[in-house]
Amino acid sequence: MSKSYQAIVIGAGPAGSSAALTMAQAGLDVALVERGSYPGEKNMFGGILHRMTSIEELLPDFLTAAPLERHISKKGTTFMTDDASFNVQHEASNFDRAPYNGYTVFRPRFDRWLAEQAVKAGATLVTRSTVEDLVLKDGKIAGVTIQGRSGQLNAPLVIAADGVLSFTAQKAGLRRPKFNADQMAVGVKALIDMPREMIDDRFGLVKDQGFANEFVGCTGGVRGGGFLYTNYDSLSIGLVFHLASLRTSGKTPYDLLNAFMEQPQVAKMVRGGRLLEYSAHVIPEGGYDMIPELFGDGILVAGDAAALCNATGVNLEGINLASHSGILAGQTVIEAYQKQDFSKKTLKHYKTRLDLSWVMKDLKGFRNAPKMLHINRIYNEYPEMVCSMMEHLYRIDGTPKTSITKLILREVKEKVGLKNAISDALTAWRAL
Amino acid sequence: MNIDEIFDNTSFTIDREPHIVLNYDVCSDCDNRGCVNSCPARCYTWSEEAQKMTFVHDGCLECGTCYVVCHRDAFTRWRYPRGGFGVAYRMT
Repeated sequence: MSKSYQAIVIGAGPAGSSAALTMAQAGLDVALVERGSYPGEKNMFGGILHRMTSIEELLPDFLTAAPLERHISKKGTTFMTDDASFNVQHEASNFDRAPYNGYTVFRPRFDRWLAEQAVKAGATLVTRSTVEDLVLKDGKIAGVTIQGRSGQLNAPLVIAADGVLSFTAQKAGLRRPKFNADQMAVGVKALIDMPREMIDDRFGLVKDQGFANEFVGCTGGVRGGGFLYTNYDSLSIGLVFHLASLRTSGKTPYDLLNAFMEQPQVAKMVRGGRLLEYSAHVIPEGGYDMIPELFGDGILVAGDAAALCNATGVNLEGINLASHSGILAGQTVIEAYQKQDFSKKTLKHYKTRLDLSWVMKDLKGFRNAPKMLHINRIYNEYPEMVCSMMEHLYRIDGTPKTSITKLILREVKEKVGLKNAISDALTAWRAL
Repeated sequence: MNIDEIFDNTSFTIDREPHIVLNYDVCSDCDNRGCVNSCPARCYTWSEEAQKMTFVHDGCLECGTCYVVCHRDAFTRWRYPRGGFGVAYRMT
């Protein structure tokens, strides 16, 4: 197999398909290369697709045609210990009307659909093809070699949207050969089958409403957190661990996931459900400081491959950044064809476009957030402190009550230490 | 979730040729072996008795954890399975 295209996109995830769609709509002859048997076969995430206004512009019927699950109208955060939990929830009618703020989706369905839109616009989807290497001719990028279907695809322009480990970016010398475990996390997820009515009743939902909850204190002291999202008739429940912390903990992701699902309050949420699928993937969580070189002669890097993930703890965003970066990469390739220049001189405009967009503005604005998430006390001491404080606050047992100020001070001193608490508060303030 | 029953919950098209190959001598010398506990699919097992690492690629979720966690460069090969092989998520 040897074919020539105007551009090759590696990876039919949200970044790659958005790039291919952008270029195909402009009339470019594009190959979209995917190693799975179908797009989405290799992809997993926690479960929330935030609003993607730039895809809505490219695909005006996106909100009605895309295979979306429930829209998120209710969000919660749980601070928990092995046997107690303290919940904060937000629900608003504003989040219950279109255009919705976010949806749960299944990647094997959603990614497949998005790639199909690129194909409808004229892109060529090449599945079952793992990119093996970049092909160089006279020192310039000339294509890629593939394994699975074997052969070579030719093009003077390549967009690397091959995910967090991006071997393409590495081969092009755009990312460092070694990752820093401090900047990486792994997410593990159980998809739990549950009747729709049960989900509605259990989480207080009607019609297409969905609930998204994040958890702190559920990772056995490993830096990380938990999540629970509602699909129409299943729950996505899982944990995310920072790899530098998991590596030295001696604990396993699946044991911690089981313990999480067996915690008394969480157990009530998943009770009656049946495990449908187990999945895992690494997440680039280093934020702005982890972003590799975004362009080289004949090559652009988008999505997770470019570490475009914004995990501040409040929202966990990835697909929206990936898709937008893919669109901007596609636009830059279109510009390169107009100018007939495939060198850095034109391709650097991809970075300019990204810098001017909300993607980089957000990542830059929250550049210190990863530092805050490295405060180990967030994952054990603080949730314990909050739960213990609430227990004292609510308990009535015939003894005189402590004033709230005294109670807070005592808990802080006991669980965290005053100095630590002040330093952590400052770090958090700077981060957010 | 019983990790021993991963094949009941997650689908795989197993390639006979492993996509990850280790130099076990490096693992025997390793002071950390974070791959053993960190791998979400329990592909790595360390035998204290035999002082030997075993790696089985069959149930690999291709998540990338070991690639990041290994600080001794024990991999003589770490690539994704060739197209059409490996983990196959149906829902998720």
